[in-house]
Amino acid sequence: MEEKFDAIIVGGGIAGLSAAMTLARGNAKFLLIERGAFCGAKNVSGGVLWGSDLAKLVPEYWNEEGGFERFVNHRRLTFMDDQSAFSVDFKSTHFNEAPYSGVTVLRAIFDEWLAGKVQQAIEASAHPDESFLATDILVEEVLLENGRVVGIRAGEERFYADCVILAEGVNNLLTRQIGLEKDYVPVDYMAIGIKEVLKLDASKLEDRFQLRGRSGLTNEFVGYCSDGIEGGGFLYTNRDSISLGLVLGLKDLKNSGKTPYDVLNTFKSHPVVADMIQGSVAVEYSAHAVSTGDIRSLPSELFGDGVLIAGEAAHLLLNAGKAIQGMDFALRSGILAAETILEAKKATDYSTAMLKNYRKALENSYVLKDMRSFQDAVHLLHQPEMFGPIPNLICDFGRQFFTISGEPTPKASQMMHAAVKRNASYWDLVKLGIKGARAL
Amino acid sequence: MSQTKDKSGLSVSERLGLVSFRNQGRTDSKPHIVVETSICNSICTHKCTTRVCPAKCYTLDDEGLVHFQYEDCIECGTCMYACDQGAVSWNYPHPEEGKGVNWTLG
Repeated sequence: MEEKFDAIIVGGGIAGLSAAMTLARGNAKFLLIERGAFCGAKNVSGGVLWGSDLAKLVPEYWNEEGGFERFVNHRRLTFMDDQSAFSVDFKSTHFNEAPYSGVTVLRAIFDEWLAGKVQQAIEASAHPDESFLATDILVEEVLLENGRVVGIRAGEERFYADCVILAEGVNNLLTRQIGLEKDYVPVDYMAIGIKEVLKLDASKLEDRFQLRGRSGLTNEFVGYCSDGIEGGGFLYTNRDSISLGLVLGLKDLKNSGKTPYDVLNTFKSHPVVADMIQGSVAVEYSAHAVSTGDIRSLPSELFGDGVLIAGEAAHLLLNAGKAIQGMDFALRSGILAAETILEAKKATDYSTAMLKNYRKALENSYVLKDMRSFQDAVHLLHQPEMFGPIPNLICDFGRQFFTISGEPTPKASQMMHAAVKRNASYWDLVKLGIKGARAL
Repeated sequence: MSQTKDKSGLSVSERLGLVSFRNQGRTDSKPHIVVETSICNSICTHKCTTRVCPAKCYTLDDEGLVHFQYEDCIECGTCMYACDQGAVSWNYPHPEEGKGVNWTLG
């Protein structure tokens, strides 16, 4: 393998595999290097892959037996205090049609499946023996010549390409090596995701969550679940398991003196959650650092001389309260990176000016457009009131509203006034309301 | 102290028992994270890695000293961000010579 590739992709996650699929279809010669024993072996997510881009990579993926767990047609956002849960719940047959607007995934299964699809695309391409998905290899260094990225080094082996795509994930050591990310990334824009996969018979799961066929529920939680720490909980239904976990702001967790696993136990012990996971058995425990979606955490640039940064290595992530979007951003950025390389190959021009088109394409796509337009929502969700006073107030109101006591019932507005007085101040609410109105 | 208050909750060691690690049998594996605990045990006032690490690779002994072992590391990266004292040199484990995770679900 001494010859030069059109592209080397570091990382066999969703960004890397999406780039690989696009390159294979474009008949480019590439080498994808994954450090895990298989693509997906090192990858963790919540995880819901939102949007319909997956159909671009694998047309009619919904007819496949493998790959995703369930499609999402039922969404729920739950505010919780220590005893109660007040939910906004939306379920619709609008979400039943393929291409779905979101699918739950377990990454070790999903990514390996996607890698299989990429391998098929390689075999169907003009260079079936000149593109490779190589696993179990750790890229230790990005090779530079006169400031330009020319390849990578893995152990004693060096591989060269016209362009390198770094899709190495959030712990982006190579992105740091080439100076697009600072050597030390502080906790401020980082969170930790922690999760258990809880096994439950498919028939039990379907009865419990009112699922039909491969339909699924996603439920996000805010309030008691994070034990006062910035962040929230999630529950996603897989085929025969539940993904239950938390995303906790690392700065706040660090200052709280609490441990993520104790907070997870607190979340699991909430009576409403306990009812949902009753009888299930934990089969895997995982955790991973994750970006908070603050646009200030983006690397100084998303491309360099001979290199493109895709997926979470570029901190492409958004949580504006509706959904945690990371994998769909990875998917789109991988496609856009590969398309940029295909253009460059066609023009035999891999100059920085050409690679800059990747940045432009991302800016013109929903990825950076949404990250920019929902930054206020990101900041609103980081207000400390969101993790205690607001969920408590909502549950307090709910408890009053749904109580039939045999006493004269106050009007809802009086109940709300009482709940506000007990849990927050009107001034706090006004401030949040103004921010919220601007943000969404 | 470290035991969880709730009976339904799993302990960290029970949870780690659900993780499959690479090169389990290997006794001469190479550490992928090197922690200068002398920094933790001298200038660091918060010793936060002992709390934020989800695999409890960082522990405090009876005398309040920080100890680190990499064998249970699930490669999340949290300590690399949490440590603001420059004590943590974080790297990916080598596929053959290191430990590290091998998720079955992910």
